[in-house]
Amino acid sequence: MRFQDAARDARTVVYAGIQADPLVAQVAGLLVGATPAERWMARAVMNGERTEPEIWRRIFPSLFGEGPAAGVRDHADRLLAASLAVANRGEQARSSYRGAVVEELTAQLLARRGGTVKRERRVLFDGVPAEIHPYDVTVESPGRPQVYDCKWGARGINADVLNQLDDARAHAADEEIELDVALVVFDARRSAEIRLDRSTARRDDTRLVALETIDELGEARP
Amino acid sequence: MSERAEAAERAATAYRALADLAETVEDEWQYVTDLTDAYLPSIRALGSGAAPLHVGAAEAVDEAIAEIALITDPHRAIDWLSTFPHVVAIALGGDVDEEAEPAEGAGGDGPEPPEPDADSPFGTLLRFHR
Repeated sequence: MRFQDAARDARTVVYAGIQADPLVAQVAGLLVGATPAERWMARAVMNGERTEPEIWRRIFPSLFGEGPAAGVRDHADRLLAASLAVANRGEQARSSYRGAVVEELTAQLLARRGGTVKRERRVLFDGVPAEIHPYDVTVESPGRPQVYDCKWGARGINADVLNQLDDARAHAADEEIELDVALVVFDARRSAEIRLDRSTARRDDTRLVALETIDELGEARP
Repeated sequence: MSERAEAAERAATAYRALADLAETVEDEWQYVTDLTDAYLPSIRALGSGAAPLHVGAAEAVDEAIAEIALITDPHRAIDWLSTFPHVVAIALGGDVDEEAEPAEGAGGDGPEPPEPDADSPFGTLLRFHR
C-alpha cells in the first residue's frame, strides 16, 4: 500500500485555490477551539440566508448575550465574522468553502496528534485498480495509516463514499496493514446515523466522527 | 401553555413547513421523512418542563423561525432540517439528539381528518394524497 498525490484537473485546481484561501484556515482555526454551541452557530451562519451579524447574535443569546464571559463572546464574535465571510461568498462558492473548512478543521485537529497529515491523496494497492476520488485527509504514519473523507452535511454520505472507505480498509488488510478509515461529518451525529441507517453499504469498520465528537480527532487513539 | 411550550410549538410548526419544502426533492424524500420523524417530536419535547426560559430565548427561536421561513430552495431546506432543531435546542436549553416520544397530534398541524368511508368514490383519491 502506498499514498500518492491526486492527479490535478481543472476542477481540482480551482478547488485548490479555495483550500488555500486564508479564510478557510481562519474559520477552521476558530472551530478547533470552539464549543459545540459555537460550532452549531458557524454551521447555521454558513448555511444561512441572512448575513447581518445582529440577527445571528439574537439567535444565539447563550454566546452573545449578557451571560457569557467577555472571552467567550469575543471568540464567538470572531467565529461569527469569519462564518459570515464564507456566507457572503455567494451560493456556488460557499458550498466549496464549507467543504474546504471541514477538511481543514479535520487536518488541524489531526495535526495535534503529530504524524504526517496530507490532503487530496490516493491510496494505491498492489493489483487493485486505483480509485479516482482522492481522500480528503490522510495521516501517513507507517504504523497506523489513516484516511478521512469529510462532509459538510450528513446528506453528503452515500454508498460510493462508504464503499470506497471500506474497500481501502479491506485492501490494506489483504496486505496485513491496519488502515483506519473514517467519515467526518460537520453535522449532527443523529442526522448522520439516520442517513447511514438507510444505506446497505458495508460500514462496520468505518468510524463516524460528527460535529459533537469532532474533538476526538485531536486526541490520541487507543 | 407556558412560554417555553409556546416557543417549542412555533418551532415545530415552522419545522413541519420546512420539511414540506424539502420533501419536494424526490431523491431525498426518505431522508427528509426520516429526519422529520426523528426531530419533530424532539423539538416538541423541548417545550415540556417547568424551567423558565433564559433572557432572549423566545426571541432567538422566533429569529431562527424567520431565518428558515426565507428558504425557497428545497435543497437548502434539507440542510436546515438537521441544523434548525439544534439551534432551537441551544436557545431553549435541551437536547434533540435523543429519541422523544411523539407528542399527541405530532406529525401535523391539526387533528387528523376522519378516514373516508370505504365505499366513498373519493376514498381512494383522499388516501392517495396522504
